[in-house]
Amino acid sequence: MTVLATGPDTADRPALPAAVPLAITSVGVVSAAGLGLESLGGLLASGGIGHAAPVGDDAEDYPPLGVRSVEGFRLRDHVGRKGTRNLDRLTGFGLVAAKLALAGAPGTEGTDRTGVVVTTSTGSTQSLMDLAGDTLLQERPYLVNPSRFPNTVLNCCAGQIAIWNGLRGANVTLAAGQASGMNAFRHARMVLSLGRADRLVVGGVEELSAPLAWGWHASGTLADGTPIGEGAAAFVVTTSEAARADGAEIAAEVLGVEVGFHPASRGDRAGAVAEHVRRALDRSGAAPGDVTEISPGSTGLVGVERPELRGISLALGGTPPVRDVTRAVGQCYSAAGAMQVAGLLAAWRNEPSERPRLALVTAVGHDGNIGALVLREGGGS
Amino acid sequence: MPETRRVVITGLGAVSSVGIGADAFAAAIREGRNGTAEITSFDASGFPFRMAGEVRDFDPRAILRRVDPERWGRSGQLAAAASRLALEDSGLDPESVSHGRSGVIMGTTSGEATVSSVLGEQWVSGRMKDFAARVVAQAPASQISAAVSTELALGGDTQTIPTACSASNYALGHAFDLVRTGEADLMFAGGADAVNRFTHAGFHALGALAPDVCRPFDRNRAGILTGEGGVSLLLEPLDSAVARGARVYAEILGYGVNCDAKHMVHPDPGSIAACIRDAHASAGITPDQVDYVCAHGTGTPTNDATEVQAVREVFGERVPPISSIKSMIGHTMGAASGFGAVVCCKALYDGFLPPTANVDEVDPALGPDLDVVPGRGRDADPRIVQNHGFAFGGNNVITILGRPS
Repeated sequence: MTVLATGPDTADRPALPAAVPLAITSVGVVSAAGLGLESLGGLLASGGIGHAAPVGDDAEDYPPLGVRSVEGFRLRDHVGRKGTRNLDRLTGFGLVAAKLALAGAPGTEGTDRTGVVVTTSTGSTQSLMDLAGDTLLQERPYLVNPSRFPNTVLNCCAGQIAIWNGLRGANVTLAAGQASGMNAFRHARMVLSLGRADRLVVGGVEELSAPLAWGWHASGTLADGTPIGEGAAAFVVTTSEAARADGAEIAAEVLGVEVGFHPASRGDRAGAVAEHVRRALDRSGAAPGDVTEISPGSTGLVGVERPELRGISLALGGTPPVRDVTRAVGQCYSAAGAMQVAGLLAAWRNEPSERPRLALVTAVGHDGNIGALVLREGGGS
Repeated sequence: MPETRRVVITGLGAVSSVGIGADAFAAAIREGRNGTAEITSFDASGFPFRMAGEVRDFDPRAILRRVDPERWGRSGQLAAAASRLALEDSGLDPESVSHGRSGVIMGTTSGEATVSSVLGEQWVSGRMKDFAARVVAQAPASQISAAVSTELALGGDTQTIPTACSASNYALGHAFDLVRTGEADLMFAGGADAVNRFTHAGFHALGALAPDVCRPFDRNRAGILTGEGGVSLLLEPLDSAVARGARVYAEILGYGVNCDAKHMVHPDPGSIAACIRDAHASAGITPDQVDYVCAHGTGTPTNDATEVQAVREVFGERVPPISSIKSMIGHTMGAASGFGAVVCCKALYDGFLPPTANVDEVDPALGPDLDVVPGRGRDADPRIVQNHGFAFGGNNVITILGRPS
């Protein structure tokens, strides 16, 4: 049976209106480049790579695999010692990225109208494995640490970001695999454009550990030499209209964001990618020729890297320069989209341009997730 | 704010410990039937408390047509099966939903916890080289919604929302927003979770497990029972439902969402009351219009006291009947408020109030005149109902459903 899930059926439906533009007014990043957008921009400009060895107590237990890890990270160095004892590395990354982002957006804390959207895949793998050890290896299977059990619940990071910053608006954790970042911005647009919150901290977070690295190793999805990565990127986001009314400085605008699902079993994955890109551009009011650079998300992933690039090329009639972050900070899976956007913002800040640039950010997952996002530099329109 | 369209629920799917299919599920709930028993899905012999709400007779192959159960975790199978049942229940041509504006939002607490359990056991026994590609691919929480889109050949938004125990209410709310703004023409929303050792151990460690049965609102309530299931509701615009002569269970009138931002596991009554008020404002209703509250009602001493306090703060003297279906199916975690939504739809459409089972004496500390609909369901004529979901992380979501006019 042929199923044209993103084909003519959709084309036959009336086109949707232009997307409500979103403004990114502030960014916080924790990556293998170090802390902050400047570190990431510097690393990308130099063509270098981030810390390329496993860190932590289990560094010896990693399989032979390229990694990009966050070196010397201690949460208490950034938020103080109090209340951090039971938090895991993943939540720590999220808290620091959110703190850095919020520091650049005054007036955001302690409010009913600011929410959180965080992407994840499984939450903290290390916390899950710690729990597995407690319940499987100890004499009594129920002797698990009650203060650490909440770390294994997938919305721990988003909940802690709310607690530490007093953000009482909608608190969302979201999982859409490789396309999680695009889904997060699309989700944010819905929440903001309907007035369910005034402002959101939108971000993605992943943590490396030996068991996660073994999972990647077993998956057979990494092309030779593709490093896996960790870290977090967080963005303070409002509608562009609200940002302008506030007189906020706009780092970039998220225009069209289209997401969908098209597994390999349906065939012509490149065609499906192309359709998502076309829709995202249409709803951005942009033409294929307006795209100055692309940031593909599936770089180094077997089986999806090529359909992604081919789909982009089909939609744009060529391939603009690629702005890659994977080589520098590693493949960050559910946080990849956030890292792609952070990478563009970091590079743009580092290399000023006379004309605002327009980037296409995409993702294709092995499971079928597809995302296409249009990012315009600055706030001029 | 953009122009929006009215959104209705026209298909229901449930894979639960008291029945498979929304009719069987709702009939059992209406009777007050208990679906909890001694755990069989993992070796629970080392636990002092061994009761849970397991779905014993779930045969994925009997329901699923495209999804091969070998390639998906139990949560994904439950979500896909519930969604297949919801599609069948809706009367839509199954092939007609394959397009780019059909999608799914699925909530969960523990994601693919049975998959994590397999990998976790291999890891802690030093057998990481046994990790299989097929199993690793099942582990991300995103696979729960991916299973649904694969099963039904959906082409649009495919998101898992792992916001713990209010997740399917949030999924329902977000799907409602996607349909009413025209971003989607048809959405499945719900949730799935599977009984597993990790969750059972965690809730035990928190001191939240009941030894025998779950008795929400009872003077002697002792805690939750862990539960599992998959649940799915099909949402479409009212206009298209009317045009195709669909059976309309309920209209989604609105929802409220907020975050306590105080503590990971302790609920906050002020925040819950604010969420109820947000939900009423979103639906354009006043408290006196609410005929029934489907409670979060976990059966822990703290939750029920906090929830009733918040309800009293908003409703004042006239508290509507409020009951907890967790008394029968246990705490199905990320699916819990989805099961609540299904039973609310049935209550509106068939005309009854769902009961709270296992109540011997309503806790006097919860205040006077609290109608928890004890025992069995009651014939009634509710027009507007309110469905609660609260979660770890302080994630509160409340949906408001109305009988279609």
